[in-house]
Amino acid sequence: MVNFKSEASRGIALSGPATLYVGLLVAAPLAILVAYSLWTQTYVSVDRTVTLANYREAFTDPLVRYLMIRSVLIAGAVTLFTVALAYPIAYFIALKARRKTLWLLLITIPFWSSYLLRVFAWKLILGFNGVLNSALLSIGVIDTPLTFLLYNEFAVVLTLAHAWAPFAILPIYVSLQKIDLSLLEAATDLGNSAVQRFLRVTLPLTIPGIIAACLIIFIPTVGDYVTPSLVGGSDGKMIANLIQVQFGAANNWPLGATLSLLAMMSVGFVAIVFVLAASGLGRRIR
Amino acid sequence: MTEQNIIQLRQIEKRFGKVVAVSKFDLDLRAGEFFSLLGPSGCGKTTALRMIAGFQEPTSGKIIIDGQDMDGIPANQRPTNMVFQSYAIFPHLNVGNNVAYGLRGKGISKAEIDTRVAQALEMVELGGLQSRGATELSGGQRQRVALARSLIMRPKVLLLDEPLSALDKKLREQMQFELRHLQQELGITFVMVTHDQYEAMTMSDRIGVMFEGRLVQVDAPPTLYAKPCNNEVASFIGEMNFFPAEVKAEHAESLTITTPCFGTMEIERNPNVATGGRAIEVGIRPEQLEISALEPEGYDATTQGTVRNVAFYGENVHYHVEVDGVKKPIAASVPNYFHTVDYRQGDTVWLGVQSASVIDLGQDQSKS
Ligand SMILES: Nc1ncnc2c1ncn2[C@@H]1O[C@H](COP(=O)(O)OP(=O)(O)O)[C@@H](O)[C@H]1O
Ligand SMILES: [Mg+2]
Repeated sequence: MVNFKSEASRGIALSGPATLYVGLLVAAPLAILVAYSLWTQTYVSVDRTVTLANYREAFTDPLVRYLMIRSVLIAGAVTLFTVALAYPIAYFIALKARRKTLWLLLITIPFWSSYLLRVFAWKLILGFNGVLNSALLSIGVIDTPLTFLLYNEFAVVLTLAHAWAPFAILPIYVSLQKIDLSLLEAATDLGNSAVQRFLRVTLPLTIPGIIAACLIIFIPTVGDYVTPSLVGGSDGKMIANLIQVQFGAANNWPLGATLSLLAMMSVGFVAIVFVLAASGLGRRIR
Repeated sequence: MTEQNIIQLRQIEKRFGKVVAVSKFDLDLRAGEFFSLLGPSGCGKTTALRMIAGFQEPTSGKIIIDGQDMDGIPANQRPTNMVFQSYAIFPHLNVGNNVAYGLRGKGISKAEIDTRVAQALEMVELGGLQSRGATELSGGQRQRVALARSLIMRPKVLLLDEPLSALDKKLREQMQFELRHLQQELGITFVMVTHDQYEAMTMSDRIGVMFEGRLVQVDAPPTLYAKPCNNEVASFIGEMNFFPAEVKAEHAESLTITTPCFGTMEIERNPNVATGGRAIEVGIRPEQLEISALEPEGYDATTQGTVRNVAFYGENVHYHVEVDGVKKPIAASVPNYFHTVDYRQGDTVWLGVQSASVIDLGQDQSKS
């Protein structure tokens, strides 16, 4: 006979740790953030009367809007660039390579050093006196060092794309790996060329992997703050840099909290629109 | 031959490293026939089929389909279509789009595609199921969709790789019948791969039996059953009792032989075996043996033995009878007319056989 009472208590016991974890580490910080966003900063303390003043300020400040849009655009560019590069690599490993495990291992090599180190490495490569400029100078391709390499959006996109590539390759690899090879043969059998077959079978079946890769890259990069501050220069600043200033030098936590929430919402919005669009597109392929 | 051979395989060979999957394969398929490649698992049936489809290049040899040499012609340009063992239904497309798959992108009007899809689905008895999702189909329905998707292409040859192996017994028997019917109606050449001898026998005009990459015998099912070319084929198709025999005299149409238990008999020569020398092997199908308590009358040869085992199959009963001078008990099968099991273990019984039922299997392999 089933003992409902013990079953219920077992359920609670099993879900307890997860509930505690989510409550403590996700819900509580979010609640604090929401609370702060409704308060205001006076000179030394926080005024706890509830007001939407911060939101008003955020929406009217052209700098906020500018940085927000730029963050989304840069993250979008990183996502596009990374996924476009990752797809062929994943395709090669999943469908062509003989030593899949070795290739997957090689792909994770960047993780063996710290992220900061990798960013500094890019600084060394792209800098005024960096590896790239020295090389180009020494072989005589240029006579003055290129300055457009570092401290701009380009450097941010490049550095982030390099850092996030494995996260894009893996989900796409998994979705390619799952494709039953007889489906590809069936497409060929029904008269498809390799390109037609890719567009009509392989690509639609890997859309879930592509969506996952895009979200995994887009969501954290919108809020990235280390990369733009190290290689972005003044042109490459993103919304996270502004938020950091509010919690630091500007000492305006309520506005910082408001900007964080707005950033989260725009990321969520863009992500939802993207997922809907991508899966809609997948359904239209025949 | 006046009739055009739709497929001609000339000395086809396929090696995977050291493994010879298909060797010295010569075969002519007639237009409009239902041909089965039958053999145990791993004997190279799928490989042979995939070479015809163009998914695998032969290591050597020639494949000619409808008079055209297929060398260098990729799978997507061959006049064949394939029903895959796993059916390979596109999971992201509904039934209608799965079936229409091969017609799209060829400048065929939407109206015509729709009509042909409807017809194809009607043909496999899935009429009106166009908008059903690929993942919402039963095994039998998946098989039908795969069939419709291939047949809509109007191929010259339809290739089927173990098309029924994923279905349960009842459905499999029904589909055997339907496939055969469809093939006769359309007049398309079907080449089916199977390891199931009953499936091959019930459906095919001709069967090619394969062992270890070699095509051993090609014949119509009744011939294959009555005149197998050797011990291997005889034991793979149906059941067979084997006996060593000694040839006493050779005649134009017959052989005089002696067997340890049935004495001297004159049996028909088997045109499918090479002349076997003096020590040959003969076979007797279990259903060709008469079993009775008293010595049966009117039989060319009789022998006496002891029942060792009784196997009840429903439609018939198999008795395994131990006879002096024969290593394995002899199986005799009796139709279950009267719903009785007449003999028990330990009973002494007589076996009788007509010499016309004794099959010459050529040289005794166990003695050479
Ligand atoms: N792609 C391949 N690579 C290596 N060996 C293969 C390959 N395909 C088949 N074989 C080998 O060839 C032989 C015949 O296989 P197959 O044609 O699939 O047999 P069947 O369909 O009769 O079961 C087997 O020994 C199998 O291991
Ligand atoms: Mg097979």
